[in-house]
Amino acid sequence: MVGIHKKDPSHSEDTMEEHDNLNEINDEESNSDSDSDSESEEVRAEPAKNAIYNRDGLLEKLEDISWPENVEWIHKLTVDHDQAEGVDVNDDLGRELAFYTQALDGTRKAFDKLQGMKIPFLRPPDYYAEMVKTDAHMLKVKGRVLSEKKRIEEAEERKKMREAKKVAKEVQAQKTKERAKRKKEEIESVKKWRKQRQQSGFAKGKDGEMDLGFDGDDGFARSKKRKTGVAPGDRSGGIRRGGKKGQEKNRKKRDYRDSKFGHGGRKGVKKQNTAETTNDLRGFNKGGMSKKRNG
Amino acid sequence: MGKKRKHAEAAEAPKKDDSAPPRPKRTLTGWKDGEPEKPSDSSAHTVFRNKEKVLITCSRRINYRYRHLMLNVVSLLPHCKKDSKVESKESKGSTLNELIELRNCSSCLFFECRKQKDLYLWMVKSPSGPSVKFLVNAVHTMDELKLTGNHLKGSRPLLTFSTNFDKEPHWKLVKEMITQIFATPKDHRKSKPFHDHVFVFSILDDHVWFRNYQISVPHNETDKVDRGGLDKMTLVEVGPRFCLNPIKIFGGSFGGPTLYENPFYVSPNQIRALEKRKKAGKYVKKVKAKTRRKIHEMSNALEPDEFADLWKE
Repeated sequence: MVGIHKKDPSHSEDTMEEHDNLNEINDEESNSDSDSDSESEEVRAEPAKNAIYNRDGLLEKLEDISWPENVEWIHKLTVDHDQAEGVDVNDDLGRELAFYTQALDGTRKAFDKLQGMKIPFLRPPDYYAEMVKTDAHMLKVKGRVLSEKKRIEEAEERKKMREAKKVAKEVQAQKTKERAKRKKEEIESVKKWRKQRQQSGFAKGKDGEMDLGFDGDDGFARSKKRKTGVAPGDRSGGIRRGGKKGQEKNRKKRDYRDSKFGHGGRKGVKKQNTAETTNDLRGFNKGGMSKKRNG
Repeated sequence: MGKKRKHAEAAEAPKKDDSAPPRPKRTLTGWKDGEPEKPSDSSAHTVFRNKEKVLITCSRRINYRYRHLMLNVVSLLPHCKKDSKVESKESKGSTLNELIELRNCSSCLFFECRKQKDLYLWMVKSPSGPSVKFLVNAVHTMDELKLTGNHLKGSRPLLTFSTNFDKEPHWKLVKEMITQIFATPKDHRKSKPFHDHVFVFSILDDHVWFRNYQISVPHNETDKVDRGGLDKMTLVEVGPRFCLNPIKIFGGSFGGPTLYENPFYVSPNQIRALEKRKKAGKYVKKVKAKTRRKIHEMSNALEPDEFADLWKE
């Protein structure tokens, strides 16, 4: 009927990929949603010249089949809705919105009419009957909605965390900066104080508040932080605790352990049993807990 | 059921004057609802009674998606009768007409699947036509989890049409047929007396789009929504979705003289053929381009480069 025209032929919408490819070929705008492909299927061609259009025949048929004129509205339940102009078929959201508004508007009109008739038309809350979709299916739907919600929430949470991290980094940087600044200031103040002191000829008691902390060697010694449990004679402040004596004592044990568990060489071979070691039962504790192992 | 109905119709004329008031109330069959309105109707004119029955069937070798769509339609229309699949070779003949007659139906929706991918929908008024053949696109069945609504099975739908149905004669005809086929007859025994879903038929881009929404509206009484409830009304989509592209309208049922032909219609076969041809041309084009390039290179040979062995030493 019509000659060859460019068209997007994919019309089962589960073949999204194919659809995209074809769209590229056809230089059409690619559509985002899945169900938009089928309606963009036609690139408007010239209408066929010889197409039959028998208006009279159509109208005659319409008269034949149509219900009598004065049929009450309740039999038909039809509502007409003025569709907004310029709804783009390929714009999924716009299109669906148009349908939704049509349904909503129509329903309002219809409900107005039904209310005017004073007949019950709304389902009472205690009316239970078979539904179009089964409960099992609705459960699935619910699960999906919930999981979707959860996913969105999680994504949001992650986003928030990322933001918080960024902020925290900045805060940390600010803090270190401030600390450095304070340190610098303190050093500066100490220098200043020294200078003043020098100028005043080391006069004691001139600036009372400074003179407390820097008086004598005692103060300096105390300012060094000491570890707990350090012997009073230990001048290193517990840093070299254990000392030479202890180290020597532990050395042997350490060496043995190193030889056994690693530190140099392949472990696998060393740990394997040989004929000797299998026959050697020394390692087993024969006499209960009392005997000490000699290895 | 059939008997009772006949009885009601027969009784209406003679008994109208003497025994109309003391009629027993029989709610189970819708007797009670039907009875009071009859006197008022018959006083003005003959009673209108919608006795539409729709036969729904499909061709053999239909694929699952389209079959599910058909089953969804079956679940939406309580006044339909579903029949087993029909051999598609026979669908051209009078088999379907016979089947419709056999099942006592007045209209038919026939889902014809070809090549496992193209779905055609025949919408037929039975004994004397007309019939419309559509190509069905953009099918979404009710099983999809995106469509979250639900409504009573068998409640009568509200039908909303966009006004551009009234502009052209063929759309007018389609609208009338849709109204008759998709509207559930009042007081049908399988229908439920509440309205909780709405069908949308809208013409966009010369296609008829179908949507089905659940109506959720706050109400306490059954005959009145709450104050301001109409504004608070929301719709949830139930499905299915599909889009009908009219191909032809015939005068008879499953045949007869063609009354209308869609001038813009291109069959999916043609589209696919075109696509194939395009793909077939790809290799030839590539080879041609290669040879052309070769010829071009031969004809304009490069000049010997004077700096070619500058760095050789």
